[in-house]
Amino acid sequence: MPYFQEYQLNMDRADTVLDALMHIRDTLDESLTLRCSCRGAICGSCGMRINGHAALACKTKVQAMVSERGVVQVEPMNNMPVIKDLVTDMAGFWDKVRQVQPWLQPAGPEPEGEYLASSESMNHLTGVMGCIMCGACVSDCAALEVDERFVGPAALAKAYRFVADPRDGAGRSRLLALNEPGGMWDCTRCMECIEVCPKGVGPMDRIMLLRSRGIQANVPSTCGSRHAEVFADLIYQKGRLDEPMLAARTFGLRNLSRLLSLLPMIFRAFVRGKVPKSGPLHRAIPGMEKIRRLFQRMEERL
Amino acid sequence: MKFAFFPGCVSKGGCPELYQSVMEVYPRLGLELEEMTTASCTGAGVLQEKDLKLGDVLNARTFALAEQSGLPIMTICSTCQGVMSQANHRLTTDPPYLAAVNEILGEEGLTYRGTTQIRHFVWILLEELGEQGIRQQVRRPLKNLRAAPFYGCYLQRPSEALGFQDQPERARSLELIMSWLGLEVVDFPGKTRCCGFPLLTINEKNSLRMVASHTLDAKRHGADILVTPCPLCHLNLDGMQSRAASQQQADIDLPIWHLPQLLGLAMGMEAKRLGLTRHLVSTQGVLDKLGSAVAKIEA
Amino acid sequence: MTTSYEYDVLVMGAGLAGMRAALAAHEAGARVAIMTKVHPVRSHSNAAQGGINAAMMDRGDDWEEHAFETVKGSDYLADQDAVEILAQEAGREILTLEHMGVIFNRNEEGRLGTRRFGGQKRARTFFVSDFTGQAMLHVLFEQLMKARVPVFEEWFVTSLVKDTDGRCAGLIGFEIRTGQFALVKAKAVIIASGGLGRVFEPSTNALICTGDGMAIAYRAGAPLMDMEMVQYHPTTLKEKGLLITEAARGESAYLLNCDGERFMKRYAPNMMELASRDVVSRAEQTEINEGRGVDGCVLLDCRHLGRRLIHERLRQISEEVHSFAGIDLTKEPIPIQPGMHYQMGGIKTDVDGRCWDVHGAWAGVPGLFAAGETACLSLHGGNRLGANSLLDTVVFGRRAGRCAADYAREVPTPHVPDSTVGMEQQAISALLSRHANRDSIAAIRQEMGVAMHSHLGVFRDQEGMMTAKGTLEALRDRYSRVSVQDKGRVFNTSLIRALELGFMLDCAETIVYSALLRRESRGAHFRTDYLHRDDVEWLKHILLYRQPDGSSRVEYFPVRLTRWEPKVRIY
Repeated sequence: MPYFQEYQLNMDRADTVLDALMHIRDTLDESLTLRCSCRGAICGSCGMRINGHAALACKTKVQAMVSERGVVQVEPMNNMPVIKDLVTDMAGFWDKVRQVQPWLQPAGPEPEGEYLASSESMNHLTGVMGCIMCGACVSDCAALEVDERFVGPAALAKAYRFVADPRDGAGRSRLLALNEPGGMWDCTRCMECIEVCPKGVGPMDRIMLLRSRGIQANVPSTCGSRHAEVFADLIYQKGRLDEPMLAARTFGLRNLSRLLSLLPMIFRAFVRGKVPKSGPLHRAIPGMEKIRRLFQRMEERL
Repeated sequence: MKFAFFPGCVSKGGCPELYQSVMEVYPRLGLELEEMTTASCTGAGVLQEKDLKLGDVLNARTFALAEQSGLPIMTICSTCQGVMSQANHRLTTDPPYLAAVNEILGEEGLTYRGTTQIRHFVWILLEELGEQGIRQQVRRPLKNLRAAPFYGCYLQRPSEALGFQDQPERARSLELIMSWLGLEVVDFPGKTRCCGFPLLTINEKNSLRMVASHTLDAKRHGADILVTPCPLCHLNLDGMQSRAASQQQADIDLPIWHLPQLLGLAMGMEAKRLGLTRHLVSTQGVLDKLGSAVAKIEA
Repeated sequence: MTTSYEYDVLVMGAGLAGMRAALAAHEAGARVAIMTKVHPVRSHSNAAQGGINAAMMDRGDDWEEHAFETVKGSDYLADQDAVEILAQEAGREILTLEHMGVIFNRNEEGRLGTRRFGGQKRARTFFVSDFTGQAMLHVLFEQLMKARVPVFEEWFVTSLVKDTDGRCAGLIGFEIRTGQFALVKAKAVIIASGGLGRVFEPSTNALICTGDGMAIAYRAGAPLMDMEMVQYHPTTLKEKGLLITEAARGESAYLLNCDGERFMKRYAPNMMELASRDVVSRAEQTEINEGRGVDGCVLLDCRHLGRRLIHERLRQISEEVHSFAGIDLTKEPIPIQPGMHYQMGGIKTDVDGRCWDVHGAWAGVPGLFAAGETACLSLHGGNRLGANSLLDTVVFGRRAGRCAADYAREVPTPHVPDSTVGMEQQAISALLSRHANRDSIAAIRQEMGVAMHSHLGVFRDQEGMMTAKGTLEALRDRYSRVSVQDKGRVFNTSLIRALELGFMLDCAETIVYSALLRRESRGAHFRTDYLHRDDVEWLKHILLYRQPDGSSRVEYFPVRLTRWEPKVRIY
């Protein structure tokens, strides 16, 4: 059964949580088990939950974490089985990374010299290449917490790294694979991964870019892609959202049964005045031509 | 204090009780609101999935309109707030990007200079009224009410875009205000987690799992109600609660309140006028518990 | 209960050299596996920041110039035939890496871009922002996943086994997660387990850099060469010991003393901040010792470089100094000091990674190979140039992998007595069953590190080194009696740290021994009692062989010169 063990320490102002843990290990309790190596936020070994949120222990200052009662709470990362103390089993994490075929798949014959690639494209990739596979995003992912089949933010960020690499020739097949259940549409957009990433990778932002690219590449439509396209269309039409229409058009005719199963709830909402006017009864905001002009201008540049 | 009021789409659609309760409370708070009737939807993060830049252009237009009127923007929805904050962050930290956006806005005769402040109603209560201002408003202390906060992701992350570095209290805004209203604030781990709304039409099963998980957790920690500053969260936590309950085969029955409703009640207003009869998960039980201080509601 | 496995080629270590070797062996058709005590992407290669050198002929660069600068940088201790190969094969390796997917920086034409690095006149360092090592490491791991090379992940190797003819026959280790021992047999073993930085305190090195492979090879009878050549990197963050990449100086950052003076003009007027690392470290230490430092440090000034450049090319260190020292390097200079960084010495190999001489000029362990920082060809001699280590790992990792595969094809499967694993397990159990005394692994580690830093650092002398020798002897004695508090089987990091300490003591002893022997100053080995370089007596390598009683037997091996006669080294 998991339990908390308390250690009393005197630490220096500048010390990190890793310094504290190593201090415990070296002087108080040699059996305290954790992964750590570089101490400099580059190896990704020391991912753990500190005061309930995933972080690298070597990058987290004790002073910033200490509560009013003088306590810092340290636990292993979430969404992974625990092996011992602060060490989790990351086999599942790596299985999901492998799932996205994380190696360059160039198209065409290999050039004599280097593949030509613009400076912008390679600079752009330095953001997502900065991922050190620490697992913090996966630990705090809300979607993974309720569904372990979701491929997860780390794998998706890695998939983006290849979709955005001009040398990779498998972009379309990657997007098709990510279009499947458990893929890029299963992210709940909670931004935990962006918040906890110690390297500024912004996994959720990458997932959103994958979705954009998927839509642009005309992957088979799903509720996910339809949701985004219908939403945009509704704003184009009326400037503000027609919620019932959004639901109906997202589900589409194929999912009529889904819509019908929601009828009892819709009825109850209706009698309480919570079902807004829809379709032709939904009023557009004044000055729609201005909004539509913006849509058209943005469409032109694509 | 005068604000350009941006109510968002849902408070005028699926959650009219939110709009209703804001209209009831704001005059007494010394606020003046000028509703932005020509501003478009923020995109809610969904339009941004299709085209991020289009979203930024639409929001830049809204910011420019407010800037023109010389007013800061007030939102009443965590999602509107978050999406706008992120857009504003991008626009104000990347001058070439802002210039490119302004080129497009310029055709309408608008320019965004980057000065618009966008704040959620909850932050305005925190920063403009503060503890004294709020406590002064309380006519009916909500004793015996145990309430758990539920922020909504967009009001908590990413902290950089939401100004938490300069205003660290924003991370606890809801809890602070709730405590100043005199009720017992229930802390629970799910308070900053996701309600699942973005997944509702895409993966309903997972969406409802999140609803069940956090409402049951709040209940386990002793909450009578859950309070949220986001109508999208409300749609899922209240609207889909019974569906979540049957999916997870559990009894939930936790009323979900909008923050302005809580505020209004503490200010002595009538429950019905605050739209508390419109919820799918009935609030009657809680109102009864609050006792004779609260007017009985006709069913 | 033990299990046993068998491969043609077995690699110890999954850093750049290890993975490159494994991929090369795999491509050459061998059945290859890797044993590594951490997940491959946790390897210390990921800490290399600045870049990888290569002279590309089609850009008008000259491999001979790169080779010469490497030889000069080494203070003429490098074996020039090996250096020539390094310089000649560099261009091809860069292209291989780029084709694998490394996101190297580009110029305006979309071709690979370069920056300047220490000890070199021309800009020939290819890079990925300031995290080149990480960028390369992750791509090699991607290739490893693609090739489905089996990895014994989080397995701790305890010793090398040999067959009855004294040929290398495999490795023994235990799965960290379960404590389960196994013998992994192989016809060829490539040791690529990195350096030994933690022998020194402080060090830029990760906690896993404990000289495991060097010690294991040494115990099995392989020679360790040039162990006294320990590099101190000029720019490590004050007190923390974290590395600040040379690339900062490559992008024209300045080194200043307390008077705001660019003091390098008094030590290396031509190359200034980009002189070779030993020269810069000594200059800094001299400034500090003579009272012109700031709080025991000197200052690295990046302010004049501008936000844009810093964001594009030095983003990682900008984050790092902000995160770990609260400094905004666009506004303030960074306090830095020399810190132990790299081991030029290591397991003696030839240019194909073999730890035995096919011509019989020196003895080793047939079937044993080594590559990367663990090995010593010698490429880096008395001092390594920045951005040559990344190059070393891939060029010679590939060569070792290919040669090991070829070798494995020619030899029969080795025979190892079954009792070997059992004996190893018993030794570990004995260690675990020691009773507690007041001592601790951590205390012994710390004292060793401090003693080595104090006496085997930038400036050395007889007295200091003899003190260090005495300290090590006392620590060795304490080590034989210290207990391991965690007695469990599952993920016993206590046991691992105890075993690592044993490896480190072995390595430390060879460092001190060689340093005492070499009575001259050359490269990183600078003796205040023997100030000058002595090419008449000391243009040779020191090889140490372990004796049964624990002492070392010395052999000397002359430096191989091809084109360049040793000259006075001025920057």
